[in-house]
Amino acid sequence: MPNDPPLSSEAASAEAGAVDAGSVAGRELLPTATTARTRAVVRGLLRERRGQAVVAFAVLIAATASGLVTAPLLGQIVDLVRGRADPAAVTTPVVLLVVVAIVQGVLTAVGVSLVARLGESMLASLRERFVERALSLPLQQVEGAGSGDLTARVTGDVSTVSEAVREALPELARSALTIGLTLVGLTVLDWRFLVVALLAVPVQFLTVRWYLRRAMPLYAAERVAVGAQQQQLLDTVGGAATVRAFRLKEDHVERVTSRSWAAVELALRAVRLMTGFFGRLNVAEFIGLSAVLVAGFVLVRGDVVTLGTATAAALYFHNLFGPINTALFLIDEAQVAAAGLARLVGVTDLPTTQPAPANDRTRPGAPPSANRSRETPSANGSPTGGLVPVDASVRVHGVGFAYAAGHDVLNEVELAIEAGETVALVGASGAGKSTIAKLVAGVHRPTTGAIVLGGADAAELAPETLRRTVALITQEVHVFAGPLADDLRLARPDATDEHLRAVLDRVGALAWVDALPDGMATVVGDGGHRLTVTQAQHLALARLVLADPPVAILDEATADAGSAGARTLETATAAALAGRTALIVAHRLTQAATADRVIVLEAGRVTETGTHDTLLTTDGHYATLWAAWSAPRHDPVA
Amino acid sequence: MRSDAPSGLRVLGRSIAGQRWLVAGSSLLAGAHQASEAMVPVLIGVIIDEAVSTGSTDALLRWIAVLAGVFTVLSVCYRSSARLGERAVERAAHRLRIELTERILDPRGGAESGRLPGALVNIATDDAKRVGTVNMALPATVSALAAVLVSAVALLNVSVPLGLLVLLGIPPLLGVAHLLGKPLERRSEVEQDRAAHASGVAADLVAGLRVLKGIGAESAAIGRYRQISQESLSATLRAAGARGWHDGIMLAATGIFIAVVALVGGRLAAAGDIGIGGLVTAVGLALFLLTPLSIFAWANRMLAQGRASAGRIASVLAAPPAVVPGGDRLPAAPRGRVRLRDLSHGTLRGVNAEFAPGELTAVVTPDPAAATDLLACLGRHVDPAAGSVELDGVPLSRLDPGEAHTAILVAAHDAALFEGTLLSNIALTTPDPPLNGTSPGSGGAASGGVVASEAVVASEAVVASEVALETVVASEAVVASGTAARAMAAASADEVARALPHGAGTVISERGRSLSGGQRQRVALARALAVDPPVLVLHDPTTAVDPVTEARIATGVRELRRGRTTIMVTASPALLAVADRVLMLSEGTVTAQGSHTDLVRDDETYRSTVLA
Repeated sequence: MPNDPPLSSEAASAEAGAVDAGSVAGRELLPTATTARTRAVVRGLLRERRGQAVVAFAVLIAATASGLVTAPLLGQIVDLVRGRADPAAVTTPVVLLVVVAIVQGVLTAVGVSLVARLGESMLASLRERFVERALSLPLQQVEGAGSGDLTARVTGDVSTVSEAVREALPELARSALTIGLTLVGLTVLDWRFLVVALLAVPVQFLTVRWYLRRAMPLYAAERVAVGAQQQQLLDTVGGAATVRAFRLKEDHVERVTSRSWAAVELALRAVRLMTGFFGRLNVAEFIGLSAVLVAGFVLVRGDVVTLGTATAAALYFHNLFGPINTALFLIDEAQVAAAGLARLVGVTDLPTTQPAPANDRTRPGAPPSANRSRETPSANGSPTGGLVPVDASVRVHGVGFAYAAGHDVLNEVELAIEAGETVALVGASGAGKSTIAKLVAGVHRPTTGAIVLGGADAAELAPETLRRTVALITQEVHVFAGPLADDLRLARPDATDEHLRAVLDRVGALAWVDALPDGMATVVGDGGHRLTVTQAQHLALARLVLADPPVAILDEATADAGSAGARTLETATAAALAGRTALIVAHRLTQAATADRVIVLEAGRVTETGTHDTLLTTDGHYATLWAAWSAPRHDPVA
Repeated sequence: MRSDAPSGLRVLGRSIAGQRWLVAGSSLLAGAHQASEAMVPVLIGVIIDEAVSTGSTDALLRWIAVLAGVFTVLSVCYRSSARLGERAVERAAHRLRIELTERILDPRGGAESGRLPGALVNIATDDAKRVGTVNMALPATVSALAAVLVSAVALLNVSVPLGLLVLLGIPPLLGVAHLLGKPLERRSEVEQDRAAHASGVAADLVAGLRVLKGIGAESAAIGRYRQISQESLSATLRAAGARGWHDGIMLAATGIFIAVVALVGGRLAAAGDIGIGGLVTAVGLALFLLTPLSIFAWANRMLAQGRASAGRIASVLAAPPAVVPGGDRLPAAPRGRVRLRDLSHGTLRGVNAEFAPGELTAVVTPDPAAATDLLACLGRHVDPAAGSVELDGVPLSRLDPGEAHTAILVAAHDAALFEGTLLSNIALTTPDPPLNGTSPGSGGAASGGVVASEAVVASEAVVASEVALETVVASEAVVASGTAARAMAAASADEVARALPHGAGTVISERGRSLSGGQRQRVALARALAVDPPVLVLHDPTTAVDPVTEARIATGVRELRRGRTTIMVTASPALLAVADRVLMLSEGTVTAQGSHTDLVRDDETYRSTVLA
């Protein structure tokens, strides 16, 4: 039996850029920070705002403390009444109550704003750091972890932490302060009140432990189920036309039903858990309250405290029900947020770039670019003391590459592309074309051999320089959400509108852009005007022209556009590549025919290289490909 | 009478009525719960009065026992009412979700028009949940009413003037809170929008990470995000300040209100009109009553939200169908003669054409819109503005759209793949994981190699998991049955399967995003071929496939569809070359027809469209 070797399977799927959801085995998720490290980062953020933090918490403590005067004042009224004082005597504590109310109100307003300011500015600086680091990660690392990992962190974890900072943190702070200070208040009334109030604590402790043990896995399962339900709905609704055409309605309704019901069942289990939690806390409330009342009874009978003090103690404890429930309930939210925070810190803690080898910083300031003048280093680029390519040529020397050890995708590949030359890379699926594209663009590092750009080893170039030298456009189109002009300016932030229009014109996209509802100001991408695949690729080519790199690599860039779109894009591609060194992974052989040179790749090796015409005469693999391609295109008139 | 198209209110009403027993039970228990909560401050007053101030142990024990009883009722009622209520919420939302899915997938179509998939999914999740939540708002309202009632009785029992002061004083207090809260709510909406925008931008940038890296635009992107993050921060801080003042003013107003209650109560107690316990009860209830009244406000908000959401759900459920079903039936085995008679729709201007049974015809058009319009008419996504598409002499518009789909399958260029194994995406008739008892080994000789190699590749998965085992067993059965294997071979999808780690048993995720464009196309083509419909319409099936494979696919389709009507809308010369006949559709009408070679020789428009 043909035991289809796993080697070729993996090679092919890797070449196709395929990420298989099933094969998580070799996947290395992005790191998660340890608890200690997470705490250290939070402390660091707090330290930067030390003064602000001290003032915020001081004000909040003062606000809570002033609120605690209320109960003893009410107790004083009780004592006055009991002492058969003149009804007018009640006025003084009442006036004090009003003063306390106003002071507490003002202090709370200021305190809450200050705590929010503290939390929000910490959050903002954390999320900015996170996005900065996330966008600077080497692609190989992101892909190794699966693109879902980073996306989940940037959407899920950032918003979990944000909500915690916005909603849970102020509530938790206020509740904790109220609890702490009320206990202090009880002690001031009489220390024995504190002791009996603490009788509720064992029940609360056991309840929280009972709850947390079940809550974390249950809520995690619920989030997964809700995510699966969402994914299924997107699948089904997004593919509704296909479902109808293939009459798959019943199957899909059943899929949605089972996913939705799974989410419902977990939600109901979560409700049972939560009600169980509060139900158990009711027991603690009863124990505490009756203990305080009994203590009051005993102390009043023994003449240790007045009836007013006993009343104050009971009111104190009754007012604690709310804050205790809130604080204990939020423990779980705090844990979820902490887990999210650890995943964010895990990414922000990654080293900025792979350390460049120290040995080759020696070559003195090489001339900028012989081929193109590039006097505009990017705004915050590193000082230009490092290695710089001298021209726009590309050399691939004895390059081998394996996604998994022992399963070589490329073997001893030799390529030379002169500055300004356009070379087409041709070969069957799985031959390793995309892998070469990624290696030259610096997405992956070759396992053996070297990529040389303008005389400089790509492995030793500063990442900034590498990216300014080579651009890679793949069939993966993404239109950035927002005005179309903003999308283009990602490639060149300082471009004027005129410049943008000129570039759009150059790639032949100006006509349709002007026809959009608001021209270049039209909001496109997610949630905006939907562009066709062809239009999105047009934008990608416009970005390429704006970024203006000396070397451009195009991988399957016109593949998905349909036959009519593909031709439009070929014209646009030619315009965008004019004056650049270009490596094109070609599916449509017209691209190969118009290239300066064709390189044929078979099973990870270069088998043929030469101009289109010479290769046709050699009767090799390219000639076969061309025959398949051109036979039905034979034009008897030509 | 109104049609059966549901309005927002009807959706809401149905969702409550569907769970009426749960809602009623939950309401009853919630009422008992809040009434018990109201009893707690009353009992504190009583215990102070009857036990602490008198020193009677008997009274203490008696009233503590009563307190224990109240807590038991409170706790049990709370738990059961919340559980019943949430069950009603979740069930109602679930039902709406299914109802929406069924409407969206209805063969008559029309529900998606003008809505993005994301928006529809939001309606099926968030809006459905909000409508369901109304089932919790009702018990909450009942519970708040019960609490107010019990408190009112207790307060008036203590003292009529004091009771009236508390009961009449609280509504204005909440009015103040409401007035203060309004601008805050608006502000926090703006703030949430901004925050959502910031996180949306971050997610968008990460989604386009490869594109950013490809052109070295990371630092520009980081700069842009930082700016948006800072804008979001300042909006948030303004809102946080507003919230702080809202909380502060509410606290102060409540405090002042309590002071007034203490003043009046204290004077009444000093004058001997009420007992000390009465004073304590009044103060306790004044604080407690804020809870039920804020429950009213919450329930009211949920009801308003629920109504808005119900309106959105109703607009999907009531969306007019894209096509109206007719009553005619197709013959049991359609011969597959398709005729376009004066077909006008969109860019089509009176197209006349006939596709004979068993013929392989290609349609070429330089205008992508014309292709889209033609495919929409053939697939019966729309009924043509004028003229008709006939199948075996029956106009499609006189058929049920579901029935039309059984006879004519239009395989769209952007057809979606679904989550599941590669095989379950192709062999649709077999559910996943499928075991329909087809005996292995009955396959044709042509597919023998496929069977063997796939079984071997897939057998590696057996070790990995039991689930995989089922898939493998199933794949053997299905491949052996032949149809799927032949379709896969014709579409060169067998190559795709071989390249995947678990062969045809490999799970495809995210609507086929885990495959490359060319792989996705071949799997989608294999699926369409495997259905083996009387009439198959293919739209640009090979745009992302290399020329050698494309040529192989052209031959494969030609062979597999022998004797069945096939229409290919394409400009690919490889496919055109295998067609029996090619129609040139230009300016909305058929301008030329003939073989590919003839048209290339004779038709200038054709040449420029096909041979770039």
